[in-house]
Amino acid sequence: MRTRGAVLLTNIITGLALGYTVTNIGFGDYAELNRMFTFQDLRMLLAFAGAVVIIVCVFALLRVRRNPGRIHVGVIPGAVLFGTGWAISGGCPAIPIIQVASGYLPALVTVAGVVVGIRLCRWANARYFHLDRGSCGL
Amino acid sequence: MSTYWPWWAGAIGLALITIAYTLATDRSFGVSSAWDRVLHWRSERHLERLEEQFTDDQALADALAAATAEHFGTEPGAPTAQQVPYGETQPRPDVEETAGESPSVTSLRPVPVVTQAALLVSIFIGGWIAAVTSGRFQLRFDMGPGFRNLVTANPTVMIALLFVGGVLVGFGTRLAGGCSSGHGLSGCGRLRPVSIVATAVFFGTAVAVSFLLWKVI
Repeated sequence: MRTRGAVLLTNIITGLALGYTVTNIGFGDYAELNRMFTFQDLRMLLAFAGAVVIIVCVFALLRVRRNPGRIHVGVIPGAVLFGTGWAISGGCPAIPIIQVASGYLPALVTVAGVVVGIRLCRWANARYFHLDRGSCGL
Repeated sequence: MSTYWPWWAGAIGLALITIAYTLATDRSFGVSSAWDRVLHWRSERHLERLEEQFTDDQALADALAAATAEHFGTEPGAPTAQQVPYGETQPRPDVEETAGESPSVTSLRPVPVVTQAALLVSIFIGGWIAAVTSGRFQLRFDMGPGFRNLVTANPTVMIALLFVGGVLVGFGTRLAGGCSSGHGLSGCGRLRPVSIVATAVFFGTAVAVSFLLWKVI
């Protein structure tokens, strides 16, 4: 499936399914998220880890091709910033969207912050870092 | 209000989404990348036009080479032009993984930016459907009792922290080249070393900061 229309349809179905699934798992609930990160409740952690295990097995069975990627100097600082922001705001890039969709209006501010952060990173990279950061989702 | 899904249902759901997307598009799935491309749609559209032009030129060159070979014959040892339908990319052999970076992977064109915008809008709609059908939808001006008890009950401080947290998430995910979906699900699912390192670091940091919020602050 490679045509523009097919990719568009795939993205729409994927988005609907992702929004529906992560909301029902509870990733938009700050209290649930904190309980996961502090190991008070392993339910969401097991959901995430279980998904990774299933994906590893299926990709290995199907021999899905992979790009090993490069651990450039931005990976660890970027991950530290992301982890800090996730714990404070309760949002990775998809979560503030479903928080707003669930009625948490202040999450619009998180969305605004994500927008500013992404634009700031591209500007800073072009001006100062000059990193080939790669991308997870081409 | 219904309870959240059990862990196994969540695991199956997240895995199905990632696997289906990968098989359908032959690409990795990542939300921060979608954000990045949508927010820079002007430059992305410019790149897409350039790539379309390149594809057209490549198709024209291939067709001319094929016609020349057909008319004059092909000398032994001379490269033969591979006939590719107009607008199609070169067929990619489904070879087994090797340690090196496969050119067939790196030469993949990004999905159109409009499809990335559709992904973000669809996440919103999917989340809204889930919230409404589960009875959890409620318009509110706070982030719930968890945020109020663990972080702050002051609305001004809440807004400031949400903004700063959002900036850190946006900046950090793009600096690291991915987020919980791109590195965490797609990348770790493919056992990419960079994704495993990134996921361990962002998850470990989130654990440390959450413990600080819970126990110290």
